[in-house]
Amino acid sequence: MYGNEYIAPKDIGEALDVLERHPNAKIIAGGTDLLVQMRHRMIEPELIVDVGRLPFDSILVDHEKVTIGSGVSHAQIGNSDLLQEHFPILVQASQLVGGPSIRNRSTLGGNLMNASPAADTIPPLLAYDAEVVIAGKNGSRTLPLSQFYTGYRQTKLAAGEILEAVQLPLPSASTTAHFIKHGNRRSLYIAVLNVAVRISLSASGAVENSRIALGCVGPTVFLAKAAEAQLQGKLIDEPTILAAAQCAEEESTPISDLRASGDYRSNIVAVLVRRALTEAAGELLGKGH
Amino acid sequence: MMAKQTISLTVNAQSAVVEVEPGKTLLRVLREDMGLTSAKEGCGQGDCGSCVVVMDDESVNSCLVLAAQAQGSQVVTLEGLEQNGQLHPLQEHFAKEWGFQCGYCTSGMLMSCYDLLNHNSQPSREEITEAISGNLCRCTNYRAIIDAVEIAAAELHKSEQD
Repeated sequence: MYGNEYIAPKDIGEALDVLERHPNAKIIAGGTDLLVQMRHRMIEPELIVDVGRLPFDSILVDHEKVTIGSGVSHAQIGNSDLLQEHFPILVQASQLVGGPSIRNRSTLGGNLMNASPAADTIPPLLAYDAEVVIAGKNGSRTLPLSQFYTGYRQTKLAAGEILEAVQLPLPSASTTAHFIKHGNRRSLYIAVLNVAVRISLSASGAVENSRIALGCVGPTVFLAKAAEAQLQGKLIDEPTILAAAQCAEEESTPISDLRASGDYRSNIVAVLVRRALTEAAGELLGKGH
Repeated sequence: MMAKQTISLTVNAQSAVVEVEPGKTLLRVLREDMGLTSAKEGCGQGDCGSCVVVMDDESVNSCLVLAAQAQGSQVVTLEGLEQNGQLHPLQEHFAKEWGFQCGYCTSGMLMSCYDLLNHNSQPSREEITEAISGNLCRCTNYRAIIDAVEIAAAELHKSEQD
């Protein structure tokens, strides 16, 4: 059907050797994005390297972080009690990727490497200060996810490298997060807008740390830094939330496509950021802050 | 230049060895090389669910799996549900409840529901709805499908307890 060669390396060393010899090879994991792109001839790789047999399919926890292998499926994330406890909005976002039979195949690494501005898992991962672990010929390197995307569907992964895992620092107890995927259906839909927020409060009840990640309103998913700055050190009340939401709208540069117009997206950014921050603030109050 | 690859897998409890072009999908190998035509290509990109089969105990869109990726796996298609001439309760109740009309989505619907019942023997209507949320039907109605799954689940659960 597709005119190409296929190889499934048994270990990481073999995979890196193959990629070194074939820099134009395309990596396949779940295939739920790649095979669609091949079907539409958006890409016509000569060689497909299947990383599905590499040991990247586990979720590990230590005292300071959780490491999720790039081959972990969205179904695995969606069913993980460990991730639900520490990173509930990553679980929520994973449960909203495609439909059940897509989630059984599609992987976290695939979602990151497809690098769509509409990727569902990237906003929660940015909100949780995720780092990517990249395997290469000279060993592994780690990079904040916030520095990984350089432009529309462009990443810092070099030819010959493989995304190995994602690391998430365990959040403090005074942290809460909220995620909204806004779209036109309840299943099998691509987001019109994704918003992920995370807030931590200091003992005095002021915002100590915040993240506001926006998807579908720029060439990459990004952190709305000016909006975050609006929250810093302040009590999280309505005027503060409205100011941050306004900033988020100003930081967005949405385009029009078949799912929504740019004007609509601009309007809804402020609405959904306000809603997400209000929900998160409410949850923090519920926790006794 | 395309070198064919030899793939061994188990389909409906029978082992099979097929020579495939590396880029051929599992769906096309099932249909064209193995004569199992229940799984259908609707959209070819994971939006419709008419190609759903069960692979290693999970529902998958067979149009989005390369046959080479199915090396060594256990695949169940709709043809594997009937046992000794007896329809599976899901099939029987899809028929009784009119859970299909043109039938194009039916194989994928049934396989998504089969996967559901393998993991959850007493699903709620919400869980059934979620399980078929990746399967589009454009001519009958989802309510009849959900009714059929509910009745089949109850029947299967009862027979397991007897």
